[in-house]
Amino acid sequence: MMSNISLGRYYPTRSILHALDPRTKVLASILMMALIFIASDPLPMAVIGVLTLFLVALSRVPFKQVLISLRPMLFILLFAAVLNMLTVSGNVLWQLGPIRITDQGLFTALRMASRLVLLILNTTLLLTLTTTPIHVSDALENLLSPFKRLGFPAHEMAMMMSIALRFVPTLLEETDKIMKAQSSRGADYDTGGLISRARGLVSVLIPLFVSAFKRAEDLATAMEARCYRGGDSRTRLRIMRYQLADGLFATLSIAVATGLLIWQFAN
Amino acid sequence: MDQVNGVFAAVDHVSFHYIQHGQEPLRALNHVSLDIQQGSHVAILGRNGSGKSTLARLINALELPSEGHIVVAGYDTQDHLNIWEVRRRCGMVFQNPDNQIVGTTVEEDVAFGPENLGVPQPQIRIAVDQALAKVNLSHVAERPPHLLSGGQKQKLAIAGILAMQPSCLILDEATSMLDPVTRTDFMALVAELIKEHGLTVINITHHMEEALLADRVVVMNDGHIVLSGTPADVFDRVELVKSQGLDVPVHGEILHRLAQLTGQKLLPLETASWASAQAGVIRILKTLTKKQQVQDMHETFDKGDDQPSQTTQNHEIIIRVENLSFTYSAGTTLESAALKDVTFDVRRGELLGIIGHSGSGKSTLIQHLNGLLRAQKGTVAVLDLDATDNHAIRKIRQRVGLLFQYPEHQLFEETIYQDIAFGPKRLGLEPAEINKRVLWAASIVGLKSDELERSPFELSGGQRRRAAIAGVIAMRPDVLILDEPAAGLDPAGREEILGYTAKLRDEGSTVILVSHSMEDIARLSDRVLALRDGRVVLFGTPAEVFSHPEILAAADLAVPKSAAFLRDLKAIYPSLSDHCYTTESAALELLRAGSEACQ
Repeated sequence: MMSNISLGRYYPTRSILHALDPRTKVLASILMMALIFIASDPLPMAVIGVLTLFLVALSRVPFKQVLISLRPMLFILLFAAVLNMLTVSGNVLWQLGPIRITDQGLFTALRMASRLVLLILNTTLLLTLTTTPIHVSDALENLLSPFKRLGFPAHEMAMMMSIALRFVPTLLEETDKIMKAQSSRGADYDTGGLISRARGLVSVLIPLFVSAFKRAEDLATAMEARCYRGGDSRTRLRIMRYQLADGLFATLSIAVATGLLIWQFAN
Repeated sequence: MDQVNGVFAAVDHVSFHYIQHGQEPLRALNHVSLDIQQGSHVAILGRNGSGKSTLARLINALELPSEGHIVVAGYDTQDHLNIWEVRRRCGMVFQNPDNQIVGTTVEEDVAFGPENLGVPQPQIRIAVDQALAKVNLSHVAERPPHLLSGGQKQKLAIAGILAMQPSCLILDEATSMLDPVTRTDFMALVAELIKEHGLTVINITHHMEEALLADRVVVMNDGHIVLSGTPADVFDRVELVKSQGLDVPVHGEILHRLAQLTGQKLLPLETASWASAQAGVIRILKTLTKKQQVQDMHETFDKGDDQPSQTTQNHEIIIRVENLSFTYSAGTTLESAALKDVTFDVRRGELLGIIGHSGSGKSTLIQHLNGLLRAQKGTVAVLDLDATDNHAIRKIRQRVGLLFQYPEHQLFEETIYQDIAFGPKRLGLEPAEINKRVLWAASIVGLKSDELERSPFELSGGQRRRAAIAGVIAMRPDVLILDEPAAGLDPAGREEILGYTAKLRDEGSTVILVSHSMEDIARLSDRVLALRDGRVVLFGTPAEVFSHPEILAAADLAVPKSAAFLRDLKAIYPSLSDHCYTTESAALELLRAGSEACQ
């Protein structure tokens, strides 16, 4: 029932983008985000668009696969676009009763939509499709570790993320099993009224939570038995090292960003 | 420092109380003393709640003694500074394979221990690769752990410990969720590690075959050590061991029962091994006098074979499965055929046993019988309804009860009573009828009325299991399907649950029992269905099915031990029937054949 749900949708293949250090990709995606928000004119937007297509080519992920990542956001995208189109004032292009479309509105809607599309495409390309979740978590831990001195729990956050990733498939399997067991006792999850369905949900969620707590307790004991005592003086099997490619990628990104910024402020 | 006078762990007058909020402290251990020798293999047996797991946790410094001292490898666990030294030397494998894996890939999980110890990266790499090679998991190093089988997960847990270079391995019911073949395989790995690395092994288990592999067996009850010695010594005291709610090896029990029946005394250690027990049987049967025969024959004559008392051969067929095939994830790279051309039927009132090793399709098969899975090819007719039709499935689920493994996890209501009433309520019954059924179901599984008003989460695991079983039988299904209802229980608990199964069948329910235990299936079933890789390899009465040791062996199954014991004696007593599936009937059959032989 639940086996078709996949999280993160990492696309396993070998490419320059896959091989980059996850920290480079995290920083690059932050830079991209900033650029996308600062850029407001069509030209820099177009440049970012071309850049994005270049990244797609570098990643060797089929373009169709990249576009699929837009699907869950489609509704928000359309909603934001239509809202902008209808509310922003300007020269009226078309009118029907109280509904009117202005040139300003159309422009804002288009800009809004392309911003969102670029944002989604860039983050999924850099962080989801070409980087495993555990690498993203490693990168965040590493990048945030200077803030440990200020009391920021960088290691704990990364550990939490990694354990969550580890247990998602286990808990999905468990959900499936509990649903089957309750179905055998007459629970109905597909038909029936709202109340009956909500009631059905209770019969799945309670056993699931109880089991999750039990697992958490067991896991804590198992971790202690294996000498886990927090992040201090821990070493790692996976070591992140910046390679030449990271340097080149960073240099190019910064160059493009600087160019765009200069153009933006010059205008 | 690791070796102190050859003693690896010294447990000295240790008591331990669990402090529960607002309740009396629970005394789990009471002045226990025990020395575990360096490099020895110790098995600890005992019922659930006897304190054996607590002892293991104390040795690993996961808990600290309330009184007394435990010194492991020269480190006293009472000293807080020592606990990490103790834990890095004692690795622990827990019961549930899923709940001890931390890493998102196999190799990362193995690295978790060394990472915690602060081992430099190049050495971690070496330790991980070596540990994975030792447990034969190198080929799955980069796989996410949820894709491993149960046996592989437990081996992964061992690899994670080996990478920390321990001197002791503690197995806390580590094999209780594995099937017999995987369990044997796992214990073979443990034996290899003992030989290669001189590891000290402490194995807490419910399985007597595992205890036989140890140098020393310790039996615990109620926080005390009641027996300790070599396996031969301990299992020679058949009655004492059985009184602890534990099993003794089948050969020992048959011999012991035979001695009782004939009023003979056993020689010391005659129960020690299969061969010595057979020699013992021959010795006892030789001494039989004519007089004794006449006396005993009366009661034994009609008891020999374990044939079902009432025959269900002519009963109507209520489930008919024809040419059923089922493939998971068809058309993808993960495609796997779970059932291939399966044909069988179930008669009203019979107890059908289903056997097959893990992955042979048992669980897929039973899910077809109440419409949780729909037939992809072939037909499944249940009570003359088509189990692929949506409307029929609703009716089928009301009349076919299915209980999965570890059903205690499905409880969710505020009280046990309400949980048992969930199914009957969904059937749309009158409140009075629901009440009647709940009380009836509770009485079958032996739940008391004060327990019915308690929350499921306050009860022990065994009580919760009973409640879950009651929840299904309260629906009074025509067919009750039980998937390993006794999994993970101690021998006494196991016996109890299987008792209900037999009781329900005797009351006229049709029961389908899935089990890994050949002994249980053989003695309880009217007919047996044996699966191998999704195909039916044998289907018939226990006597028919268990007359094919070769076919069973090829399917990773076996003949029940008592039958195998008799089979080995057939050369001497040709009239011996080997269709005896309990130690009692086997002993009686030996007595009968032995008497015949001396006439």
